[in-house]
Amino acid sequence: MGPERELFWKIGPGWLFYALAALAVGLLLVGTAAHLQLWMKSSLKGKVAFSREALKQTLSDVFLGLRVLKGEVAAGIMHALIFWGFLVLTIGTAILLVHEHLSSFLVGTSHLAFEVAMEIGGLILLGGILWALVRRYVQRVPRLERRLEDALVPLWLLVVVGSGFILEGIRLASQKPEWANWSFVGAWAAGFISPGIAESSYPYLWWGHALLSLGFVAVIPFTKLFHILGAPAAYYLHHSSEVSIKASLFSRDLAQAPVNEDEVAPETGEAALDFAETPLNLADIAFYDACMRCGRCVQVCPSAGAGEAFAPRDFIQATIRALWKEHSRVGDIRLFTKDQVIDPKVPWHCTTCAACLEVCPVYGAAFEAVSKKRTTLILEGTGVPDLMNQTLERLFNYENPWVSSKREKAAWTKDLDIPALTKDGKEVDFCYFVGCTTSIDARTQAIAKSFSSILKHAGVSFGVLGEKEPCCGDIARVVGEVGLFEEKKMNCLDLFSRYDIKEVVTSSPHCFHAFLNEYPEKNFGVRHYSLVLKELIGQGRIRFKTNGKRTAVTYHDPCYLGRHNRIFEEPREVIRSIPGIQLVEMDHHGADSLCCGAGGGRMWQGKELDGEARMSEIRVREARATGAELLITACPLCLIMLEDALKTLGFEKELRAMDLNELVLSSLELAGNNLM
Amino acid sequence: MKEPKIIVCAKQIPDPEAPFSNVSVNVEKKEVVVDAPDVISPYDENALEAAIRIKEEVGGKITVLSMGRKVSDTVLRKTVAAGADALILLEDAAFERLDSRSIAFVLSSAIKKIGEYDLILTGRQAGDWDSGQVGLILAELLGIPSISLARSIKIKDDSVVVEKLVPVGYEVVEAELPALVTVSNEVGELRYVARTKMMALLRRPISIPKWGTKQLELSVEALNPVQLMELCPPPDMRRECVFIEGASSDEKAGKLAAVFKELR
Ligand code: SF4
Ligand code: SF4
Repeated sequence: MGPERELFWKIGPGWLFYALAALAVGLLLVGTAAHLQLWMKSSLKGKVAFSREALKQTLSDVFLGLRVLKGEVAAGIMHALIFWGFLVLTIGTAILLVHEHLSSFLVGTSHLAFEVAMEIGGLILLGGILWALVRRYVQRVPRLERRLEDALVPLWLLVVVGSGFILEGIRLASQKPEWANWSFVGAWAAGFISPGIAESSYPYLWWGHALLSLGFVAVIPFTKLFHILGAPAAYYLHHSSEVSIKASLFSRDLAQAPVNEDEVAPETGEAALDFAETPLNLADIAFYDACMRCGRCVQVCPSAGAGEAFAPRDFIQATIRALWKEHSRVGDIRLFTKDQVIDPKVPWHCTTCAACLEVCPVYGAAFEAVSKKRTTLILEGTGVPDLMNQTLERLFNYENPWVSSKREKAAWTKDLDIPALTKDGKEVDFCYFVGCTTSIDARTQAIAKSFSSILKHAGVSFGVLGEKEPCCGDIARVVGEVGLFEEKKMNCLDLFSRYDIKEVVTSSPHCFHAFLNEYPEKNFGVRHYSLVLKELIGQGRIRFKTNGKRTAVTYHDPCYLGRHNRIFEEPREVIRSIPGIQLVEMDHHGADSLCCGAGGGRMWQGKELDGEARMSEIRVREARATGAELLITACPLCLIMLEDALKTLGFEKELRAMDLNELVLSSLELAGNNLM
Repeated sequence: MKEPKIIVCAKQIPDPEAPFSNVSVNVEKKEVVVDAPDVISPYDENALEAAIRIKEEVGGKITVLSMGRKVSDTVLRKTVAAGADALILLEDAAFERLDSRSIAFVLSSAIKKIGEYDLILTGRQAGDWDSGQVGLILAELLGIPSISLARSIKIKDDSVVVEKLVPVGYEVVEAELPALVTVSNEVGELRYVARTKMMALLRRPISIPKWGTKQLELSVEALNPVQLMELCPPPDMRRECVFIEGASSDEKAGKLAAVFKELR
């Protein structure tokens, strides 16, 4: 007999094993079906189209594991070891069954290759599990939770792999085949085993190993192991529904969601967080269900980082838990899950900064889940914080979220000779859409003033809408007031078309984002001012004075310019092109930037939601650590937040917050320009 | 007990939260000119919220009464969107600028016309003139007990239990129904009314009765307009902040002294 393995050596008839295997696979299928039923029940009706591209991306996500590796090399390698080890052993076992029952091809050299592959598979799985346990329980990586399930799952797998090696050792010890050394781990184990004990204990151990392995397969849908199936599904749905990084914060169907005409005032308990009422699409649920509580989102979330009572992971877990309880015919089938008490204010913390999406291994945009929850709360009316309630009322009545009137939107232009757009006025290159905050807030008006001066310097023809400028509605959108957002959008579209506006340039990344991504019906182009500055510099239309003095500046990426719309480089290029200016980066920059804390409507929520630290203060401390003199940003909300934090921390003397426009203007070759 | 019938009196006023630049005072005409959308007086919104919470707890029916020379049903439909069951508008040219007693008189006639009620809620005062009288006079005219300045209202059997604000803290007061309670902001803000909900409601035909002097069988002579003796604009509160620059403290002090001298 050449090299070969006898599958049911000493075990007798295999039927019992196959019966148990069928049971395990049955449980796997039933459990998975329960997940699928939940997905279908909880989501808006919609088709999932087949897309080759999405499938390709999904396969590369699954097999390359780049989402897991991203920014977390140790975790990525650990996961890859477990993934590949598990995969090799699973495929190997399947091959063995084929060999046993269909065609006996695993003989001779191919058997030896098979044995070596299984040894390696087992070893890397073992290494992966041990590393995972060390990370969680020895290194105690802070983002990892230590629940019962978190210990049980890897230990179970550890026992499965360990017992597999021991079994092999016993088999080799008593059979003593001459090719034993190819199974190098098993052969090594065999050295510790006396043949007599081996033969008598073998059947027990074999059944133990078999039961544990089959059990492991069976519990996949009932534990966090479900991500083995859920994550690939989430990948596919993510790619195919193009829920890209520029994703809309809410599904558009929702804006037109018919309000039940007979029941205008839904009976709701006091500020109850009814997660199950939120309309979702399949990609959302797949991500919630595939979330394996890795905590990467918590680690990067600025709100959680500031010690606020919010963690995106817990929010997602509470959401999926509620969905299971409400929408699953059999209740929550997952073991080890329990109800979590969630504060009703929780959905109002998120700044929609998108940092979580950047790191989540299953493309989880927690902020979209939050936003959908907000939409439900807004419709119910009771869970809306008072300050947000008032802000929305003001937005509706006065076209801006501040305590100001629309008529003050032109105040900053006084004595400045800023061309106002008229219905049939002369052609201009673009409409400068100043935005509510920039036109009203005394500090940020400097953005508008300096941008206009730069435009004049460069000889660009532009105009502003002044008192007629509407609100883009973005605040309403991010806080889930989709109806108000739609009204504001219609309002803007109508005005732009009456004024025949073809090109819009905004001060605020928020207006920019809304126009660019949330106005699908628009027929005008939109740019953020930083793009215009870069272009003007590129065309040589902006002349900087030569400056002997070297100034170190650092740049804070606004979330809606950077992460949401991937404009990281352009503002930096503008900064770098100024003579004498040296750009130093903060620890968190570009796609890893830290939110200033103003997004998602937080600007208008007061201090009520603040934690131990303020997000803006955390950011400003990081900026100060660079040793830069100037903290440059490109968003009016960031400017207000950062400047405020500089004041409350008493850093104003060392570090000044400035808008990119102010920096450019102060460096221009203008008569009498010595702002710096 | 049976489900209570609640009447909420809600006044439509120019937005008291309007930005300052939208408000001016015409001294000759004794008029405050507010260029701002009309809203429901905030304390009346609190009263409505209190009513809705009672309804959520024990059931009931809420009727909103609003009175004025011109009342807009787009403004007042918000009450229905929030959770009221019926809306009645009291509209008549003769209802303009009435004094508190006359307003209470009109309201009492309307409430008598409605007939059945258990609880009447009003705001503690209106957000425009802040008189705070109508509620209590109304109770008097109806001959029912009244409790003012409620921070919490509960219905228990056939009575209403109110936490009534006093200068320090609150006292718990109980009155037999029917009764009138004036509501303070501590009750909580009116729940948010989403625009989609509001728009759906505006499209939906609902019958909103309009009653004037004729329907209420009132004689105009019984109504007295308010007599405004004098109206003055608020004092100019503008402030200016000047940093005194100077090389030394002496120099700065000298300049400061000069400013003081000039101001004297
Ligand atoms: S979007 Fe930002 S604030 Fe919101 S959950 Fe994600 S990381 Fe946290
Ligand atoms: S949402 Fe994503 S990043 Fe957050 S815990 Fe779940 S899987 Fe991890």
